[in-house]
Amino acid sequence: MAKKKCVAMLLAGGKGSRLNSLTKDLAKPAVPFGGKYRIIDFALSNCANSGIDTVGVLTQYQPLLLNSYIGIGSAWDLDRKDGGVTVLPPYAESSEVKWYTGTASAIYQNLNYLKQYQPEYVLILSGDHIYKMNYESMLEYHIEKRADVTISLIEVPWDEASRFGIMDTDEELRIVDFDEKPANPKNNLASMGIYIFNWNILKEYLEMDDRVPESSHDFGKDVIPMLLEENKKLFAYPFKGYWKDVGTVQSLWEANMDLLREECDLDLFDHGWRIYSVNPNQPPQYISPAAVVKESLINEGCTIEGDIEKSVLFQGVTVGKGSTILESVIMPDAIIGNNCLIERAIVPSEVKVPDGTVIRSFDDEIILVTNEMLSGLYPAF
Amino acid sequence: MKKELLGVIDATTYHEDLEDLLAHRALAALPFAGRYRIIDFVLSNMVNSGIRSVAIFPKMQYRSLMDHLGSGKNWDLNRKRDGLFFFPSPSVDFDGKKIGSFENFAANLDFFYRSTQEYSLISNCYTVFNMNFRSILEWHSNSKCDITEIHQKDGGSMEMYLIKTSLLIKLIETRNETGYTCMKDAVNDIQSLYTICNYEYDGYAVMIDSIENYFSTSMNLLQSDVWKKLFIKEQPIFTKVKDEPPTKYIKGSVVKNAMIANGCLISGSVENSIISRGVKIGKGAVIKNCIIMQKCVIEDNCILDSVILDKDVKVEAGTQLTGTAGSPFVVRKGTQQGALMNS
Repeated sequence: MAKKKCVAMLLAGGKGSRLNSLTKDLAKPAVPFGGKYRIIDFALSNCANSGIDTVGVLTQYQPLLLNSYIGIGSAWDLDRKDGGVTVLPPYAESSEVKWYTGTASAIYQNLNYLKQYQPEYVLILSGDHIYKMNYESMLEYHIEKRADVTISLIEVPWDEASRFGIMDTDEELRIVDFDEKPANPKNNLASMGIYIFNWNILKEYLEMDDRVPESSHDFGKDVIPMLLEENKKLFAYPFKGYWKDVGTVQSLWEANMDLLREECDLDLFDHGWRIYSVNPNQPPQYISPAAVVKESLINEGCTIEGDIEKSVLFQGVTVGKGSTILESVIMPDAIIGNNCLIERAIVPSEVKVPDGTVIRSFDDEIILVTNEMLSGLYPAF
Repeated sequence: MKKELLGVIDATTYHEDLEDLLAHRALAALPFAGRYRIIDFVLSNMVNSGIRSVAIFPKMQYRSLMDHLGSGKNWDLNRKRDGLFFFPSPSVDFDGKKIGSFENFAANLDFFYRSTQEYSLISNCYTVFNMNFRSILEWHSNSKCDITEIHQKDGGSMEMYLIKTSLLIKLIETRNETGYTCMKDAVNDIQSLYTICNYEYDGYAVMIDSIENYFSTSMNLLQSDVWKKLFIKEQPIFTKVKDEPPTKYIKGSVVKNAMIANGCLISGSVENSIISRGVKIGKGAVIKNCIIMQKCVIEDNCILDSVILDKDVKVEAGTQLTGTAGSPFVVRKGTQQGALMNS
């Protein structure tokens, strides 16, 4: 197999349990976002746009939909004769079945995949985040700094800092300290979970980590601290721009609402950096004479007969006459009947909302609609 | 084994009445319904009817058509066996008015010999319809007919023919003796040796042959009963995939009775119109009864009524363009319209 300069490993096994019923049957990277996409589209499109043509996608939790969605990678132009996308699920060895117990163990168990390409550098990514980033620029930075490892960094709000790996750097941006999810963060410079490793360092330290019985085999908790202890050269790569970890129903809703702003930080309309996704191939959206559409993002295949305001509608959604959708996210092929009111809610894929249903949030909390909810809690009136 | 059909699409047709829209493209590649090219309908119908091998015979200006069809991947026709075949006409001066010209087929007779499909379906490229050909194949193979011509219910020929591939080859080879130059000649000969039948198709079908009928057929898509006949979930119309984001409605937009494709940024008002992929409509602009093709930019405060904008047209701020339903104002591909240019 041809030698590759840089191979990406995309961690896509996340359960995303705080997304509740949205991730009951699918992994977090497969959660729909932005009227057309799944979260993993962003990392895969970034790879395609950054000229990275060899991507291993590590799946574990609920992989069925994700595997078929990724397919051979043609949606992202990653169906290559040499390299391309390879889905890497956990596998059994002669002695035992090895689940991916942590981010590091997932990569460790696929060292043989990487060895085939004899890469100089390995880019480790998460399939959970929404952002546009040029990994090629990060790689140039990594080479320029003669780093062993480069970790991309973003400033996060102080009150969220304890959710992330928090870094301390010197003036040269060399990382001097790294705390994974600290209770009392020293600063607000968070790791985005994007690492570039020199291949020999990655291999050496993953093998070392595997031999530590008490290790949780996690990059942030175990591998990075070990590297710092050994005085390896770890640099931070500061990223500016839109980046969101949509870990909760609230943050998923917020990220969708971000797209409705006239000047949105996450520009989906930039032809120079397209976000690719598997195209549903549906006819254009139909807006009926009775419909009103304001400040919304609507995908193909929708039939709109009601009022839509400040909402994101995925492909194939139907909204009946006299219905109002306000500040909501309606996922693929959901059917909203006539005379419904849906306000500040997420309606998951293929959910049927009966005529006359009223769903509205009276506090700040966003409602995640479920079939159970519709069959009992909300009487039609 | 199931009876197999070979798809043959004659894409050599040119309609002078569509000249303004055909300066840069073949009729088969005429944009329609916001995201399709007109050939998508017959091609998707073939694929949805289980046809695995489709031959397309284009003539001039076929660059746009080739670009659109590519390897046939979007129609699932990029196969190791069979798939999509492209046979540009070897001569530029043959008569393109006849659907299924034997002279044109003769240049690629090998293909017909090599094809294993027992029957062939020969079709024009400019009909807007959603039809499953399996039922007509069933009907034809159970009848004693040699050639079946598809007719519209209470209407004329749809210029689609079903015939055994072996008989098609015979007609091509004996064209000089029989004097048949095309499928139409073969079915119209009242003294024919063959049994010619008509099959009445009672579904929705429109053959696009003039600007006026292109415009009215497009506008009829806004009626939901027409829409539902054309876009059927189980028999989707496939087209070339573009990675456009969903359409964004910006503050101030007013949209009513419109069909809008992906990737548009809409700030103005749109009514009774078909808007293709990647169109930008500025603030205060009013678009009524229009067909706006891909990637047009309509700047602020323009007023357009009964206008067809071909691809990549830019309309400068404050411009007014008006046509009528019978004679829509057509703006050619890639041109610019300024406020002072039309009075």
